[in-house]
Amino acid sequence: MKKTAVQKISDLAAQLMQKGTLIAPVREDAGFNFREISDAGQVDLNFYNTLMSPKSAFFPHMEDFVRYQTGKSVLDAVPVEISIKPAFLFGVRPCDVKSFEIMDIHFSGTGAVDPYWQKRREATTIFGYAFDLNTPADGADFYATLGIGAADPEGSDVFMMKKGDELLLKAVTKKGEKLLAEMSGLTDASPEDQKYFDETVATGRSFKTRLTCVEAKSIAKKFEDLFHKTPFWERISDACLSCGICTFVCPTCYCFDICDETLFGQGTRRRVWDACMFTDFTLEASGHNPRTKVYQRLRQKVCHKYSYHVRKYGVISCVGCGRCTRACPVNIDIFSIVDQAMKE
Amino acid sequence: MSSDNPYIPMPVEIIKIIDEVDTHDIKTFRFTFLNKADEKKFKYLPGQFAELSIYGKGESPIGIASSPTEQGYVEFTVQRAGAIVPGLVTAALHDMDEGAKIGLRGPLGNSWPIEFLEKKNIVVVGGGFAFTTLRSLINYMLYKDNRSRFGDITVIYGARTPGLLLYKDELAAWEKRDDIKTIITVDKGDENWKGREGFVPAVCKDAAPSPKNTVAVICGPPVMIKFTLPVFFELGFSKENILTSLEMRMKCGIGKCGRCNVGYKYVCSDGPVFSLAELEELPRDF
Repeated sequence: MKKTAVQKISDLAAQLMQKGTLIAPVREDAGFNFREISDAGQVDLNFYNTLMSPKSAFFPHMEDFVRYQTGKSVLDAVPVEISIKPAFLFGVRPCDVKSFEIMDIHFSGTGAVDPYWQKRREATTIFGYAFDLNTPADGADFYATLGIGAADPEGSDVFMMKKGDELLLKAVTKKGEKLLAEMSGLTDASPEDQKYFDETVATGRSFKTRLTCVEAKSIAKKFEDLFHKTPFWERISDACLSCGICTFVCPTCYCFDICDETLFGQGTRRRVWDACMFTDFTLEASGHNPRTKVYQRLRQKVCHKYSYHVRKYGVISCVGCGRCTRACPVNIDIFSIVDQAMKE
Repeated sequence: MSSDNPYIPMPVEIIKIIDEVDTHDIKTFRFTFLNKADEKKFKYLPGQFAELSIYGKGESPIGIASSPTEQGYVEFTVQRAGAIVPGLVTAALHDMDEGAKIGLRGPLGNSWPIEFLEKKNIVVVGGGFAFTTLRSLINYMLYKDNRSRFGDITVIYGARTPGLLLYKDELAAWEKRDDIKTIITVDKGDENWKGREGFVPAVCKDAAPSPKNTVAVICGPPVMIKFTLPVFFELGFSKENILTSLEMRMKCGIGKCGRCNVGYKYVCSDGPVFSLAELEELPRDF
């Protein structure tokens, strides 16, 4: 295990920038967000969690597939090369690290492989970052309920936590180990630091977020049974504006559109994030649309995460990061929906 | 062209266009692959579909209408969409001539379960425009090397008017064969129509196929399905032995984009073919 002074974080950042693209939390007007770092001094670990999830490091908001000129032959179209520059995703909270595993099952672990997700995942080293256990969890968070510890190193390549003015860095994978060995300016951690690290990981596992225990199998079944109870869904979706912000900030929402954009003779076939909360998401060319009502779409979102995904892939597609609850303009809280469903 | 990227279409050329119906809004497009390697890779079974891809317009998921026993080309029967929702891709395709080049991604989805159908009698029930992948299945089963793998084949196919029947030449050829029983019906005939009149469910009831060792493969508009299913239940067909192909809006076609999600299934990659027993496991959300 290694360590450095929290103040010297920019030294570490500068070294990572020498090796590849560094994506780290940056302070912005509205809050923190993961951004590609151009100046090592931008990296700021004094955040609770970012507004947007870090999924865009692997699954950007827009991804160009093919470029072409309108009116030219399909044979002249040029697929956009997938960038495979090494990248470092720095300062990811344990619940968000967990989201990558859930997305891996979907994008590269089952059925067809999404080359964009897979190649970026392979080229990226993840620096996980423990929540501060001395500060209570945000009221929206419920990752502990889903079995995710506030300081779980699993899934990261290097796991970081603060100890006073110092930052401890522990290699979790071989990739992380190799990287840390190459870094200069880090000092070896003491046995006392190691003890602190292990204790924090353990304490993190009993760290409290909102108190209810969710068991994937039983909640999945519960939602299957609740599907046809329209009054329940109408009630919980009563205030929903169908704005889709919950899906855009979500680390495990992966729905996307594939569309063509042309301007002045230049065209791009690209994918962009999409959301099951939008009414034309399921609008067919015949005019048929199975989800014209708001309650049907909110039901799709909740059931997909807590029921369908469990039955298909074996895991709940939610990590309890609380972003959707914090972002919702009308205070709809997915955890409260789960809680109410369990009481139905 | 990147061959390992499922989002990048393969280039194909239109080598034949057949105007199928008297309303001229349904055409069959025959494509040939411009790269031989793509043709080799495009191994499909009846019931699968592909994304027809036109740069500048978009992509449309369309069932494959040819049979894999036909070599050197692949066919899609496409309706010009746009009565309610603008159909950019289908309109552009309909405006193309032979020789035009577009993109193709596939084959996608599961297929009619050929192994399950083997050694069984097959009743194919089709309505209107939803006959395309059924035609692929019928031609596959009728292929000389395949015919003995299947029992009796009965086809019940209906359209609103005689002019709206697809694949008219093939229907006539099937009617002449003695290894397939072909029952064609229209809701309302015209002065030249000498065939049967009547709705598909009623015709199925008259035909009364035996459920013994028999699978019913049914595709058609929702209203036809709604009234045909009870007929087959009454005849004694089990839900495992009634198959259909589901439609849902799709984009990626490979189970990634989430759009065609119904319950724990993605229609594009887990389907589009489902048995009625499988469909009843899903929420009514399609």
